[in-house]
Amino acid sequence: MTTRSLRIMTSLMLISILAASCSGEKKDGSGTTVLVFKHGKIAGDYAEFKKLLDRFERQNPDIRIKDEILPSSTDEQHQFYVINLEGKSADFDVLSMDVIWVPEFARAGWLRDMSGLLPPKRRGDFFPGPMRAVTYHNRIYAVPWYIDAGLLYYRADLLDKYGLKPPDTWEELVRTARIVMSGERGMYGFVWQGKQYEGLVCNTLEFFWSNGGRVLGRGKAAIDSPENAQALAFMKDLIVKYKISPPLVTTAVEETCRRIFGGGRAVYMRNWPYAFKVLERRGSAVRGKVGVSELPAFDGRKPRSALGGWQLGINRYSRHAREAELLIGFLSSPEAQKFLALALGYNPALKSMYRDPDLRLARPFFERLYRIFMSARPRPASPYYMMITQVMQPEFSAALTGIKSPQEALESASRQIDHLLGVVGR
Amino acid sequence: MRDDRGTGFTAPAVVLLTLVTAYPLAYVLYLSLFRKMVIFDISKFIGADNYLYMLHDARFWNALENTAYITLVSVALELALGVGIALLINRPFRLKAVARALILVPWAIPTVVSAKMWEWIFNTDSGVMNYLLGARINWLGSPFWAIHAAVFADVWKTTPFVVILIYAGLQVIPRELFLAARCDGAGPWQIFRRITLPLLKPVILVVLIFRSLDAFRIFDTVYVLTGGGPANTTETLSIYAYKLLFQTLQFGYGSAMAVVVFLCVGLISVLYVKMLARESAW
Repeated sequence: MTTRSLRIMTSLMLISILAASCSGEKKDGSGTTVLVFKHGKIAGDYAEFKKLLDRFERQNPDIRIKDEILPSSTDEQHQFYVINLEGKSADFDVLSMDVIWVPEFARAGWLRDMSGLLPPKRRGDFFPGPMRAVTYHNRIYAVPWYIDAGLLYYRADLLDKYGLKPPDTWEELVRTARIVMSGERGMYGFVWQGKQYEGLVCNTLEFFWSNGGRVLGRGKAAIDSPENAQALAFMKDLIVKYKISPPLVTTAVEETCRRIFGGGRAVYMRNWPYAFKVLERRGSAVRGKVGVSELPAFDGRKPRSALGGWQLGINRYSRHAREAELLIGFLSSPEAQKFLALALGYNPALKSMYRDPDLRLARPFFERLYRIFMSARPRPASPYYMMITQVMQPEFSAALTGIKSPQEALESASRQIDHLLGVVGR
Repeated sequence: MRDDRGTGFTAPAVVLLTLVTAYPLAYVLYLSLFRKMVIFDISKFIGADNYLYMLHDARFWNALENTAYITLVSVALELALGVGIALLINRPFRLKAVARALILVPWAIPTVVSAKMWEWIFNTDSGVMNYLLGARINWLGSPFWAIHAAVFADVWKTTPFVVILIYAGLQVIPRELFLAARCDGAGPWQIFRRITLPLLKPVILVVLIFRSLDAFRIFDTVYVLTGGGPANTTETLSIYAYKLLFQTLQFGYGSAMAVVVFLCVGLISVLYVKMLARESAW
C-alpha cells in the first residue's frame, strides 16, 4: 500500500469516528434541544402518532423530538434498556416502560424521581392500578401513559342464537361454551394465552385473583394456597376435562387467539383491548358479531383483570430532564390522551377521559372499560418481579401440560420465590 | 539474521483479538465469581459459589440435558442426511447446478425468519404439518413433540451446510479409485464403506466440529419456536443463560452459566481436534 492511500484511509477513518461522536452531541447550532424518545412499535398508524409529536414541537419551538422505535418484543425492549442504563447511557431521554419494569428500574436508580411532576393532588386523576405500578417507596418514577387490561371477548350473535347471556362466572362460561359448541361444528369454546411466556402469567393470575388468590403476601410467597390450586386445576380442566379449550392454547399467544377468534372459530377469547379494533376491521369474519365484557370470576368472587399498559419515565443520566418533563407532561395531558385514543385506539390512563362525549361516541364499550380498569390489578409490583415471573412461567406451563400436578407446581413455585426473596433480601 | 518484522505485522491482529475476545472472556470469568445484581446494588465477591449453586440447580441440569439431546440428535441426523444428499447430487444429472443452488436455500434464510416459518408450519390449528399428516398434534405445546419439532427445524436449516462441505470433500477423491474398485468387482455398498467413507473422514470431522459447536449453543430456533417451553422442556443452556442475564439481570450467575457453556464447547472442540490430529497423522 502506498503512503498516500494509507494517508487517505486514515483520514477517512478519523472522519467517520468524528462524525460518529458528533451525532451523540445533542445541541445543534440554533440552540434547539434534541430530545430522544424511545418507545415500542406504535400499534396502528405511525403517521398519526407523528402528528402528535409535531404538535408538541410547534408548542415548544426550542425542542425537537427524535423518536426511536425499539423492537416490538417487550423482552427485547427490556434488554435494550437494561444494557444501556446499566452502562449509564445518556443517548436517550424519555423511555416508555411496561408496567412491570418501573419498580425494578427505580430500585436500580435508573429513573429520575418525578414526584414533582405528579403532586399527590394529581395522582388521583389516573387509574389506581398504574399509579401503584409507578410508585416505589412513596416516590413517583414514571407517568402512566396508556392502560390495558384483560377482557373477555364473546360472539354476541351465537350467544343470542342459543338464548344465552355473557357469563359472570367461570362455571357459566364452561356451560355456555359447551352449549354453543354442541350446536356449531368445528367451534372451540374458549381460547386464551398458555404458551410459556409473560402472557401465561397474566392469564393465570386472573384466574388466581378471581378466586381470591395471591402471589405475594407480607414479603413472602403466598402462591401455594388452596384458592390458587383450585384455579390452576380449573385452567387445566378447561383443556382436558371440559374440553372447551383446545390443547393448542398451551402454545398460544395473543395473536394466535385473535386469529382463531377472528376467523369465527371460537365462542370466547381472553385478550387485551387492542383486539377489538382488529376484529371490527372491514373484511373481518366476525365484524359486528363481537361483544366485550369483564372477565368472569369463580362463584361468589370478584373478577380481576391483569393490568397492562405503558408508562413514561426519564433516564436518570439524561442531560435534558426539563425538556423531557415537558414532553411527558404533554403526552399525559387530556389533549394528547384523547388524540391517541381516537387515532390509535390507545386507552387513556386518565380517568376523566372516560366521560368525554367524543370518545364515548367513537368507542362503544368505553364505559365498560372504565369499570374494568378501575379494578385491574398490577402484577406484583416488586423489583423482584422479573425473577418471580421467571419462576412462575415454567411452573404454570408444567401444570397445564400435565408434567406436574397443579399442587406440585405451586409448591415448587412457592419454594423458589421464597428462596429468591431470601437471597436478595439478605 | 532472523527477520523479526513478523511480530510487528501480527501485532494489530493480536491487539484486535485481545480486545474483542480475550478481554470479554476474562471479564465474564471475573463476573462469574460475584453475586452481582445491578438492580439491588449487590456486587459481592463469592468465589466459586455460583458454580457450587449450579450443581444443585435442577434448571441447569435440565437445560444441559436438553442441549445435549438436541446436539446429539440433530447433528447425527444432519450428518446422515448430508452425506446422503451429497452423494446424490454428486451424480451427473440434468439441472445439477439448479439442484445444488436450491439445496442451499434453507441455509441462506436467517434463522429467526425460518424459525418463525416453522412456528406456523407446526401450528396445531392451521399448520401445514398437521394438514399433511391429517393429524392434530400439538407440536409445540406437548412436552414430547416440542423438542423434536425444534430438532426438526434445526435439521432442515443446517443440513445444506453439511451437504456442501461433504460435496466438496467428494470432489477431491480421485476418480481412479472408484474405477479400480469397480474393476475389482466391488458393489456400491462396498465402495461407499471402504473408499468413500474413509476418504471423507477428515471432512466429516470438520463438519462435526462446526455443527456440534453450533448446535450446543443453539438459541434462536428454539427461542422463537417455544421460548423454552412447555415447562422448560426445550430450554437450552443458552436460553437459560439469556434469561438469567438479560431478563432477570443476575449478571454473576448468568456469567457463570456462560462460562460453563464455553467450557463445554471448548471440551467438545478439543476432543474433535485431537481426533482430527490423529486422522492426519495417518
